[in-house]
Amino acid sequence: MEYIDPHLHMVSRTTDDYETLARMGCVAISEPAFWAGFDRGSVDSFRDYFRQLTDFEPKRAAQYGIAHYTWLCINAKEAENVTLSREVIAMIPEFLDAKNVLGIGEIGLNKNTRNEATIFLEHLDLAVKYNQQILIHTPHLEDKYQGTRMILDMLKGDSRINRSRVLVDHVEEHTIEHVLENGFWAGMTLYPVSKCTPQRAADMIERYGPERLMANSAGDWGPSKPTAIPDLIMEMKKRGHSKEWIRRVVYENPKTFFSQSKPFVHG
Amino acid sequence: MHERTAAQIIADEFLIARAKILELAATLDRLDRADGDIENSKQLVLLSQGMQILCDSESDKAKRVQLLMSRQYEPEWIEKMAIGRRNVEGA
Repeated sequence: MEYIDPHLHMVSRTTDDYETLARMGCVAISEPAFWAGFDRGSVDSFRDYFRQLTDFEPKRAAQYGIAHYTWLCINAKEAENVTLSREVIAMIPEFLDAKNVLGIGEIGLNKNTRNEATIFLEHLDLAVKYNQQILIHTPHLEDKYQGTRMILDMLKGDSRINRSRVLVDHVEEHTIEHVLENGFWAGMTLYPVSKCTPQRAADMIERYGPERLMANSAGDWGPSKPTAIPDLIMEMKKRGHSKEWIRRVVYENPKTFFSQSKPFVHG
Repeated sequence: MHERTAAQIIADEFLIARAKILELAATLDRLDRADGDIENSKQLVLLSQGMQILCDSESDKAKRVQLLMSRQYEPEWIEKMAIGRRNVEGA
């Protein structure tokens, strides 16, 4: 079954992974800008990273017939450095006209601090100014519920934000309702230990229905599985769900959401 | 949407759930065998409370375990953090 992975950090994966993804049915990837595992030291280091996302990665993906799209930001972890964050935000417009940029992301919160919230709001201003879609990272583990509620407060408090163009990612059982009932898109991340399993994701799809819901692998430099979406497809097939229902979550919904950005031309 | 019956779910998932219970049991056994007193450790208390949720008769167990393991949300956080704005009006 063809699928789109809405959240996958291919800069941290080898080219072998692209081949595996292509063989397993992945036809497009959306890659948000993220934390590299260490704190970058300067705006130029982000400029080089954005070059990698907008130039090198699409070429690498294309070797295996996969369309590569990307999002730009300074991630929530590094947002604690407000000075650097503002330099990066000022630099982002240099890349917004790149052929594969879908919007601003993955912005959000990490430890739910004042600095992180300040920079999150400044990213919202950037997204509004340049009419960009938004992809949001919600915090990990014990910080997720508090951080998601704070993020939703900031989004709901800004009437310039078009909720149908915002994807709130890494939802779990205690945050998904808050996201969906407020009109945003929700992403479930199939990531070992710290996030969701294919089984729990299938439960949430059954419970809330497929509307405005997506799943992703968020494969990155940590222990993760870039082929997690095929695991979800398999789980849903085992439960007896129709191909059409499954395809809605793993292909049609990402396509619908991303098609709101001009660069997305897949399918 | 296809809906499985309770009988189908227990048939499909009994062995998986059994394995997960064994993993938890083995973790608790390792703690018992190890030196040191962690009786009052926050993490052990949370695990114990989480397991009580599994055994109670209420629904939404996954959600309640998540909330148990979460930091509290404070509705007045914007004012407390003084980040400057609550409502932004669009053009």
